Amino acid sequence: MAAIETDDLRKRYGDLRALKGVSLEVDEGEFFGLLGPNGAGKTTFINILVGLVRKSGGEARVFGYDVEDDYEEARDAIGLAPQEFNVDRFFPIEEVLVHKAGYHGVPKDVAKERAEEALRTVGIYDKRDTRFHWLSGGMKRRFMLARAMVTEPDLLILDEPTAGVDVQLRHDLWDIIKRMNEEGTTVLLTTHYIEEAERLCDRVAILDEGEVVEVSTPDELMGRGKDTVRVKLSKDIEEPPATLDGDYETRVEDGELVVETRNAGGTLAEVLRELDRAGHEVVDIEMSRTSLEEIFVDMTRSHEDVTRTQTTGDGQGDGA
Amino acid sequence: MSLTDGFGAGARFLPIGFRTLMRREILRYVRRPRNTFLPPLITNVLYFSVFGVILGERVGEIQGVSYILFLLPGLVVLGAISNSFENASFSIFHGRWNEYIQATTTSPISYTQMVLAYVVSSALRGVLIGVLIALVGAVFTPVTVEHPLYLIAFMAVITTLFAGFGVIGGLWARDFDYLTVMNQFILRPLVFFGGVFYSLEILPPLWTYVSLLNPMVYMVNGVRYGFLGAETVDVGPNSALVVLTVAAVVVVLIDIALFRRGYGLTE
Ligand SMILES: Nc1ncnc2c1ncn2[C@@H]1O[C@H](COP(=O)(O)OP(=O)(O)OP(=O)(O)O)[C@@H](O)[C@H]1O
Ligand SMILES: [Mg+2]
Repeated sequence: MAAIETDDLRKRYGDLRALKGVSLEVDEGEFFGLLGPNGAGKTTFINILVGLVRKSGGEARVFGYDVEDDYEEARDAIGLAPQEFNVDRFFPIEEVLVHKAGYHGVPKDVAKERAEEALRTVGIYDKRDTRFHWLSGGMKRRFMLARAMVTEPDLLILDEPTAGVDVQLRHDLWDIIKRMNEEGTTVLLTTHYIEEAERLCDRVAILDEGEVVEVSTPDELMGRGKDTVRVKLSKDIEEPPATLDGDYETRVEDGELVVETRNAGGTLAEVLRELDRAGHEVVDIEMSRTSLEEIFVDMTRSHEDVTRTQTTGDGQGDGA
Repeated sequence: MSLTDGFGAGARFLPIGFRTLMRREILRYVRRPRNTFLPPLITNVLYFSVFGVILGERVGEIQGVSYILFLLPGLVVLGAISNSFENASFSIFHGRWNEYIQATTTSPISYTQMVLAYVVSSALRGVLIGVLIALVGAVFTPVTVEHPLYLIAFMAVITTLFAGFGVIGGLWARDFDYLTVMNQFILRPLVFFGGVFYSLEILPPLWTYVSLLNPMVYMVNGVRYGFLGAETVDVGPNSALVVLTVAAVVVVLIDIALFRRGYGLTE
């Protein structure tokens, strides 16, 4: 059974169409990333699942439970760390966790154990008697994760869980989330840190202006990118040697040979062999790979172009 | 906390989610006694001293009892309903304003249980304040309870009713000003013209009839009947109790419908 299944999910805020028919399926046990620029509709999508936003159309189910008709069952499965802080300010953080677990039906004594464990896991047990707004920014993010996990959810939803935290903490949080996923928790993560998605996610969906542009593995996405090899020769050249005619593109920039290829390993040997044969002396080689970030920016930008032409009415293409 | 532990022990058959929310709601005000109990304590000491003792000497008897005794049930009602209303509206609005109510509304507690937790905990605050005011009154003058069952029934029903209104207010409010407006411009006038401070029989006939349209009159009357007995009230308690109970049930059902619709809680 799918952990999350949406079918043609739509949301309007007045005239604004925040979700324009999103159909996604996240498998049980999967680590799924939801990427997209600001305003793409990521938070809207998540908030429909937990009941903070009412859908305008379509269907959404969590472990087979409809998010509206079977809201109790659906919500019981979810642990949410929202993008914005929303923590009870009347109680010390440990008690906030005890309450949250209680809302999910966990008896008080067990809830207390769970709360302590969660605070230890995220490393703020010392602060258990403190109110949330007296925590530092990083501790606040830690706490959000603790609150999401205190109910031992089957589906952990993390909306930009590492926004604004330092590198060390980001890695700590990644380790915790990863461990939970390895223990069987399905994770839905949104992030603007592409590296985060690349490291953690089994699959990612790219959302742009309320539409799914792409669903694939980070590796597949990376495969769309190209490797660029720059070869500096002892003498500047004017144009690429004619013998370079393999499955790659060549050009000359600043007297250096530039080769773009999908497979740097194989291509490089071939190029070097051909250069050697043509009597060129290689002085330096530089290789770079398109980052997922560049691919991502490229995808959402081209999508934007397509929608723009469509709205002006002179593009009838299907956007592919 | 003995209060909520007692509640927990006596309520094992209730769902844990509901109990937890209820506990959270009660602890929120019980743990802040200076906010919860001190203001009504001071206000009512002032009411009893000024109206009861100082003015009361001049007023003399009203419907067969001293003015201070006549006043007491009215002040109990005033304190009880305004605290029920304020607690429910504040708790929900503050939670919405700071968004932490989302921790509750995204949890698997049914809408009915969510509403009941807010209503019952707020009504309980009203009852506690009512008891506190009665105790303050007892310092000034001996108080009897002629019809304890009526007293309990009326207190339970009116605090539930106003907690139910408070939930609507808390969902409707767009700003903290709304809470003040509701309390100062709607609740207070109804209470002040509801026979807390005077008996309807001293009014000209027209105003007696107009006053009988004010639901507050029946609440004050009911509680006064509970404390002081039949001679002191303008209208009988039974039909009032039935009507108020129906009203309370209807308001709570509206609360549940609003939660289900996500009014004020979802985008
Ligand atoms: N309550 C609301 N009322 C009106 N419009 C809204 C509301 N919430 C979101 N929107 C709009 O819906 C669109 C999607 O917003 P959403 O918060 O889902 O984006 P997001 O992908 O989470 O962005 P970010 O990466 O900045 O968090 C935006 O255009 C936003 O302005
Ligand atoms: Mg967002």
